[in-house]
Amino acid sequence: MKSHKIRVRVNGKELDAVVEPRLSLADFLRQDLGLTGTHVGCEHGVCGICNVIVDGRSVRSCLMLAVQVDGRSVETVEGLAQDDKLHPIQEAFIEEHGLQCGFCTPGFMMSIKELLDRNPKPSEDEIMDVLGGSLCRCTGYRAILRSVHNAIAKLGAAA
Amino acid sequence: MSVEIPNALSSLPTSSLRHIGRAQRRVEDPSLLTGRTCFIDDVVLPRMLHGAILRSPFAHARIVAVDTREAEALPGVFAVITGTDALRWSHPALSSPEGWGTHCLATEKVRFVGEPIAAVAAISRHVAEDAIELISVDYEPLDVVADPIRAMEPGSPLVIEARGSNVMLDRLFQWGDVDAAFASADVVVGESFRWHRMGANPTETYGCICEWDPLDLRLTVRGSIQSPSMFALGRAATFALPSNRVNVISHPHGGSFGGKGGARGTDITCMLSRKAGGRPVKWIEDRVEYLTSGGGQAWDRHYEASLAVQNDGRVTGLKVRLIDDLGATGEAYGAICTAKPLAAFTGPYTIPVAEYDLKLVATNKLPSGPYRGMGPPPHFFVLEQLMDMAARKLAIDPAEFRRRNFIRKDQFPYTIPSGNEYDSGSYEEVLDAALELADYPAMRADQAKAREAGRLVGIGVASAIEPGVFDWNAYAIVGMPGTGVPEGATVNIDILGFVTVRVGFSLEGQGQYTLVTQLVSDYWNVEPSLVRVVYLDTQSAPPSFGPGGSRLGVAITGAVLGACDKIRQKMSRVVAALMQTEPAHIAYRDGKFFISGVEGAQMTVAEVAGTMLARSDLLPPDIDPRPEATHVWTAAGRTPADDQGRAKSYLTAAQAVHVVRVEIDRDTGFVEIQRYCLADDCGTRLNPATVDGQTDGSVAQGIGAALLEEYSFDEDAQPRTTTFMDYLMPTVYEIPEIEKVAVVTPSPFTPLGAKGCGEGAIHTTPAAVMCAINDALAPLGQMAREVPAAPNRLWKLIRAAERNANS
Repeated sequence: MKSHKIRVRVNGKELDAVVEPRLSLADFLRQDLGLTGTHVGCEHGVCGICNVIVDGRSVRSCLMLAVQVDGRSVETVEGLAQDDKLHPIQEAFIEEHGLQCGFCTPGFMMSIKELLDRNPKPSEDEIMDVLGGSLCRCTGYRAILRSVHNAIAKLGAAA
Repeated sequence: MSVEIPNALSSLPTSSLRHIGRAQRRVEDPSLLTGRTCFIDDVVLPRMLHGAILRSPFAHARIVAVDTREAEALPGVFAVITGTDALRWSHPALSSPEGWGTHCLATEKVRFVGEPIAAVAAISRHVAEDAIELISVDYEPLDVVADPIRAMEPGSPLVIEARGSNVMLDRLFQWGDVDAAFASADVVVGESFRWHRMGANPTETYGCICEWDPLDLRLTVRGSIQSPSMFALGRAATFALPSNRVNVISHPHGGSFGGKGGARGTDITCMLSRKAGGRPVKWIEDRVEYLTSGGGQAWDRHYEASLAVQNDGRVTGLKVRLIDDLGATGEAYGAICTAKPLAAFTGPYTIPVAEYDLKLVATNKLPSGPYRGMGPPPHFFVLEQLMDMAARKLAIDPAEFRRRNFIRKDQFPYTIPSGNEYDSGSYEEVLDAALELADYPAMRADQAKAREAGRLVGIGVASAIEPGVFDWNAYAIVGMPGTGVPEGATVNIDILGFVTVRVGFSLEGQGQYTLVTQLVSDYWNVEPSLVRVVYLDTQSAPPSFGPGGSRLGVAITGAVLGACDKIRQKMSRVVAALMQTEPAHIAYRDGKFFISGVEGAQMTVAEVAGTMLARSDLLPPDIDPRPEATHVWTAAGRTPADDQGRAKSYLTAAQAVHVVRVEIDRDTGFVEIQRYCLADDCGTRLNPATVDGQTDGSVAQGIGAALLEEYSFDEDAQPRTTTFMDYLMPTVYEIPEIEKVAVVTPSPFTPLGAKGCGEGAIHTTPAAVMCAINDALAPLGQMAREVPAAPNRLWKLIRAAERNANS
């Protein structure tokens, strides 16, 4: 199988890689780059657990191919905390008990980050629309919803 | 040395509790939130290969031939195995009931869609899957038996020919004179119910890395394993290895809910490693594999049940007939789910006699397994519908009807007809708390208005028991041997006074490492951030079962506090020797050992630990100088089951009342949950925040069970729910805010008075939601008897009512 050379910015760091065309973005991040914080839940685009941000928009990394991010910028959960400090979204999840097993949480946080990056004061419908795109089996979701509101308050206070 | 484990928070050696019993931040979170927790698929070992499995497309077919030559020739392939390898290297799986296990790779025929036939280990998962496609199998399709009723008929195709029948178990249990109770009843209500197969679906599927050491005959299994010690024994049995040659390393896992499964996939992966000369092989189940052939498909049930009632509203007898479709084999222990209802057969009620007619049947479906709650949730769905039918017939409000039948506070400990003993409870208080939270009278008034407007609004009031702290004796009727489930912990204090606790279970989501941290923080008066909780593999850990059966919170509390007490006693002796007095004169509180009334005669824990580790020459000669102790906690007083399955089994009985308001859309049959209120009594709440989290998540799973989730099969036992587009998991849109209130009735029998609470609300939620739906349908003269109450099912009932009205 013919391999392709790609250049991609991941969590702010530019890098070159050689990938098979069939390699998913999720597998590329996890296996080629060792960024195992992005988890894979269904590999058919329903559960949202593998969500990452590409050029500012959240995507299912199981449904995108690594070759498609050539020349683009990818953000993963590993890029959230900076300088030994958790991101306000991460702090909010701790305070609101927004996670239990934590397997789905990186995907949720990345889609929430996309929302709040674009719109620091989203409506309830906009929040529900984003959370409705991912599955969590542990929390019953309401604690995640509270985490979003907590994060909005934190980010608003910091701004 | 007797070990003192406090049975109340007030008995802990601290002047002010700062951590235990209070909502605490979880120590697990920072690592999970930054993506650093090491789940099994994150692990890469040197020399590691990747496995993939070829699965049957037929539910029942003879395997005429398997040709693996092309797959073996593919570059990058290191091992290909088939049923022939399973026959020479492994034993059939252990099972419940006994004798219903098969080999991990099909040998002569396949018995369900998704049954493994062959497997490949290759340099990458891609190459392994390429190789799988190169294996050709000749099948000769056989008649399929997809329905358990048909499977019981003479002449039905046999799933396991050697058994001579598809009936795996057929028993009638009678507890008291049930026929007399029904003969003398004023009112008898009865109905048949269908609970469709559904299950766990943790967000992380199962995965493992297996390494077979061919020269040293050792097996190392890493995986997302809920019960590592049990899992190790299972692998030892499969491969006839001495149990000390199997080491299981459990990794933090993305939920389990009893439904992680993995035994078959692990055994296959072990054989791949063996065939590949001992290279470690990783196999990660994908979601389609999980949905068609993984763990946690549970509770495929056909019920007929009836209730004997007196005109004053007292329930005097319960009969339940259950035909449970266990699927092709007993390997996944789904049978346990039909035994567990014995631990709470009559729910929170004083029903004096009961009967259980239990039939376990094999069909050509995936072997069914455990799922959160382990079987009582459908049982309580049935019981609570009968309670409402009786209440309706006697024109008694359903809340009042339940109140009249509740076990009273002064009746505990209370032995139910099926043998288990409930420890404590305040059922009326819980009911009152739930009704008050919901403002029940206003809710009913509002419902009456909505009904006048022609809307299908219903209110469900349901109560159930969550048996907590399981014991194997609860499952004796389906062949599980033995009594006793130990949990151990080692507490260690280092030379600077820092505390480390070593346990035998990995992270699963319930916050148990936080609980351990809370316990030792208060006991030793140290900051939680300075405590470490460390996981040990099965070769190194103290005896451990891990999470399961709403047990670990209570059990690990007993283990940790027992170990702390042993260290306290040891340190008291050391301090007494140093202060030249008797240990009886040494007191311990707030992190200090001291002689009461003697000023200056005190040492901190760190000072004692430092002295013990540095100056063993100063210690009494018979004392072990390590400030460390292991304690293994096991529930006391459990009894072997009698011939009718009666035993003191589950140690605790938590109770809840849920009040739910739903509205059914007349045009679509779609159910909206408009309000969800519950009161819950699980004894002392060790970390209220995580207890609430367990409740919320369990309600969500209960709502999924009641409204959405179903593993569907066609008449040839072909699965129709193979992706998350077909198997409907609840999303944020389906789960309302859960309004909660806690009642606390400590258990008299457990460490700190806590009760099992991990499985929680799913015991009550499906019952409550279905009660509400049937309350909504009552004016139409219709009743929903099938779970899930999917829109198409309710739509048909509403149309039938319209036809009746028009004819």
